[in-house]
Amino acid sequence: MIKLIWNYENTMPDSSLFRSGTVDVQIAHKAFAGSQGKLLALTNILLTIDPGEFVCIVGGSGCGKTTLLRIIAGLETDYAGVVALDGTPITGPGLDRGVVFQEHRLFSWLTVHDNVAFGLSRLPPAERALKIRHYINLVGLNDFEYEYPHQLSGGMSQRVAIARALVGSPEVLLLDEPFASLDALTRMRMQQEILRIWEAERTTVVLVTHDIEEAVYLADRVVIMSTQPGTIKKILPVGLPRPRDRADREFVRIRKSVHDEFFDPGTIAPMVPNGSRSVS
Amino acid sequence: MSTAEQNRRLVWKRVTESPAKPTSPSGRSAGGSISSLRSIRVPDQLLGWIIPVSTLVLWELLARAGVLPPNWLPAPTVIARTIYELAVAGDLWRHVGITLGRVALGFLLGAAAGTILGGLTGYASLARKLLDPLLQSLRSVPSIAWVPLFLLWLGIQESSKIALISLGAFFPVYLNLSVAMRHVDPKLLEVGRLYRLTSFQMVRRLILPAALPEYIVGLRSGLGLAWMFVVAAELLGASSGIGFLMVDGQMTGRAAIILASVILFAVFGKATDWMMNAVGRKLLGHRAR
Repeated sequence: MIKLIWNYENTMPDSSLFRSGTVDVQIAHKAFAGSQGKLLALTNILLTIDPGEFVCIVGGSGCGKTTLLRIIAGLETDYAGVVALDGTPITGPGLDRGVVFQEHRLFSWLTVHDNVAFGLSRLPPAERALKIRHYINLVGLNDFEYEYPHQLSGGMSQRVAIARALVGSPEVLLLDEPFASLDALTRMRMQQEILRIWEAERTTVVLVTHDIEEAVYLADRVVIMSTQPGTIKKILPVGLPRPRDRADREFVRIRKSVHDEFFDPGTIAPMVPNGSRSVS
Repeated sequence: MSTAEQNRRLVWKRVTESPAKPTSPSGRSAGGSISSLRSIRVPDQLLGWIIPVSTLVLWELLARAGVLPPNWLPAPTVIARTIYELAVAGDLWRHVGITLGRVALGFLLGAAAGTILGGLTGYASLARKLLDPLLQSLRSVPSIAWVPLFLLWLGIQESSKIALISLGAFFPVYLNLSVAMRHVDPKLLEVGRLYRLTSFQMVRRLILPAALPEYIVGLRSGLGLAWMFVVAAELLGASSGIGFLMVDGQMTGRAAIILASVILFAVFGKATDWMMNAVGRKLLGHRAR
């Protein structure tokens, strides 16, 4: 258990020390109003994510991992603490962060091209067209530019969502269980794809998942969260070179150690009522 | 054309071209004509025509045989001739034009009001809290019940008719737009927040496109109600219009005129609905399919 008491106002580092894409998370606590008073979603979260780093946050449902991601995205602002991007506290959503959700959340009335373009602010037309083309190519959908979302498979829709999140050249890409609703084979392909995209773009990536293997396959560091209250249990570096072999002995060992963190008898989460489980 | 229908046509083709060969998918029809008849399938659209067409034929025959009194139920050909005569005399176009004009004006006014108020209550919760309870309670009054008041206020001339038609067109447009705007998927709205859309951009780029399919449904039912109320308005007192033709037919005991008017209402009502549907499909683009 990380037990920390800190004065977050004094510990905010000087912004000039950062390269672009540093996420600094210091959350004392975050609560939601529930039917029986306040529900504590997160406590004592201290995490610094380096520029260009790939971090996976793993946890069971109700551990607050999505809440943590939504705080970084600027979608949740009511909490005690400070979350900063490159030294600037995050007060709301911004184009410096791209977000991909579990559902693709594409606009059914727009083509692939226009869905991707949705993520762009005003630009000269030529530059705009170039950027859109670049990101559609990057996610491998060149031939589907003028298709509509209902004509795409789940994996393709998620690619469009990734292109939309990246097209504004954000410093951080935030992914909330992006592959959870895909079938196993598509999921594995998308995991390779996200690595390829990350290597091409070199943005900081924070990916939330409940899939331990996915986390170990992708991440530079795996952040393991525990439930009730949601907090960081352990941060595990994965030093393996990429592409990683899921059957590799070291891979299996790391996967097992993450697994053991979850099923450590001392930390098995008590059963909680459904109301608090929705906070995942 | 659906696949099932294509199959049926194929079976039909095979049956008609080579009745001697095995035709049904089960291959049982090699022998007798009865089993090959079993596999004869008629396309769905054709099935829908069988009863109306045979009814018309029967009606015509009965009328010609003198079984049906001509002043009560004239033959279809008599009705057709009535329409033709009205058209030749020029009366038809005058009445149809006037009715269409009333529907168009009433619908436009009602739909415009429905769009403005529906958009307002759909977007701003304050406007909804202020206006929606009132409009909902007004909606529960059957619209025809307003007729005496409209007549008192606006007189027997055009204004009261237009007001009644507008009222009919208003509610479906208002309700559909208001509800659809309120029910846009919050997950999509969150995407709008991520890209820092202003309130205006949120409405224009997200809420309105998302609400469009239901808005079009509202427009279509509004148009349907506009036709319903134009009939009511013209029956209640008019000196022109298809509804007036009906009243005239009734007064002078000419059933053919009444039936011709019914057909005119049906034809033009359907035609405007078809046009509205076409516009809707155009607006919805790929989503319509």
